[in-house]
Amino acid sequence: MSARRGPAGRGPAGREPAGRELFVHLHLLDRQVVDVDGRLVCKVDDLELAMDERGPYVTAILVGPRALGPRLGGRLGRWWAAIATRLLDPGRDPAPRRIDFAQVTDIGSAIKIARRTDELDIAPLEAWVDRHVIGRIPGSTHEGE
Amino acid sequence: MKRLLAVALGILTAIGGFVDIGDLVTNALVGARFGLSLAWATLVGVVGICLYAEMSGRVAAVTGRGTFDLVRERLGPRAGLANLVASFLVTALTFGAEIGGVALALQLASDVNYLLWVPMVGLALWLVLWRVKFSVLENVFGLLGLALVVFGVAVWMLHPPWGDLAHQVVAPHKPAGEGLPTYFYYAIALFGAAMTPYEVFFFSSGAVEEHWSAKDIPIARVNVLLGFPLGGLLSLSIAASAALVLLPANVTVDSLGQVGLPVAIAAGKLALAATILGFVAATFGAALETGLSAGYTVAQYFGWQWGKYVRPRQAARFHLVLLLTLIAAVAVVLTTINPVTLTEYSVVFSAIALPLTYLPILVVANDPDYMGDRVNSRWVNALASVFLVVIVVASVAAIPLMIATKAGQ
Repeated sequence: MSARRGPAGRGPAGREPAGRELFVHLHLLDRQVVDVDGRLVCKVDDLELAMDERGPYVTAILVGPRALGPRLGGRLGRWWAAIATRLLDPGRDPAPRRIDFAQVTDIGSAIKIARRTDELDIAPLEAWVDRHVIGRIPGSTHEGE
Repeated sequence: MKRLLAVALGILTAIGGFVDIGDLVTNALVGARFGLSLAWATLVGVVGICLYAEMSGRVAAVTGRGTFDLVRERLGPRAGLANLVASFLVTALTFGAEIGGVALALQLASDVNYLLWVPMVGLALWLVLWRVKFSVLENVFGLLGLALVVFGVAVWMLHPPWGDLAHQVVAPHKPAGEGLPTYFYYAIALFGAAMTPYEVFFFSSGAVEEHWSAKDIPIARVNVLLGFPLGGLLSLSIAASAALVLLPANVTVDSLGQVGLPVAIAAGKLALAATILGFVAATFGAALETGLSAGYTVAQYFGWQWGKYVRPRQAARFHLVLLLTLIAAVAVVLTTINPVTLTEYSVVFSAIALPLTYLPILVVANDPDYMGDRVNSRWVNALASVFLVVIVVASVAAIPLMIATKAGQ
């Protein structure tokens, strides 16, 4: 299917011509998301769509096991989403985490967004592993290259 | 001058880094049983790895995306996940084989049982993965691995009948005592050893780690097209030394010591010391590459931050995968399974998994949406298509041949 980037006037002003035609499977789904500093954020696990009089358009990138699970399908997909909900977000709204599509600044071999990854709260597993495992090992903050 | 040095360093590390435990064991084993009558399989494998490593490096330099990132994008989440599971398991199996290889090499040097070395090797690997810069770990072990050039020296000092050796290479003839299925089973093993999928994961992800751009493509191409064939020559000299010393004596290779035996006989103690140094460096370097590759594949599928170019805390899930894979690989080796047997299986399973990696690379390298005017040229595509057929045939034939020959017995 194809979807417009946003209805005319609602696209991110000045960055892209609003209403660019995109092929969801070819240009968006499963593509890497990169933040404003070039850090890797996530994959486009699924998309949130809305409808207006001109057809469907993309409103958000959906992230994490609860977005990926349904796309994996079958028992594995249900299991995938359920485990994530139980372990990482007990008691929280089971909707997947989202990145508003207005944050998107470029769609190329990666999808660039205008925010920094640590402002986004989309990776509870990363935060947990950092806090309880990797961050506790000496030397975990030494510079990369 | 600095640029020339960089190119030379790249070529040298490509040579030293080409040989890993799979190449060491498989080439010596085959040399001792089949002479050089299977050298063609190594040569075909070297052409294949040059072709596809260049492609994956070019894709990474142009798009900034690692191989598995694109695998999921091309195959979708479901087939991509199946591919991830298979590729990860083969890479982790190879990781275990490399760890066993380091421990066996240290046993040769110290006479301390390899099982005692395994936990220490695991710890050393983790410390290097945790603390040492990517460029350092890539270069140091590649350069030390060059000590394996003594295999070439040994072949020279054995004064072989060169014409006879060359004849075995160009006019392959199956030895009378071996069955045809066994012959082709080992051809697939050599092919798998030369084309192991982790080399492509590592090469493409390394390009991203070192922030390559399109202007680095010519250097990468020189590294691959000179370094890998010379590394292949090193593999052939291991097979040739086994063919000259072990085959006439009816020695079959089932330990790392036997791989180095021809060097000790032909060139003496000092050369043997260099051989053992080369064993340790080549297997330790390959263990780092396979361990990182296991982490790269998982992180790239899920889109996590990965790599050594950021602090460990900024790639926490990636470092957790590295740590868990390392622990699992060490545990497998500690089951006292013979590391040489583990290696033999790892190269055959690599051959089985080859299409999973190489088909998506070929598809992406032809996609102008990603590659712009850097798409494959027509002759690269022609050659790559021929190779894809070879890869699929080897992959499909591997398991029936493994069953029919009881894994080459």
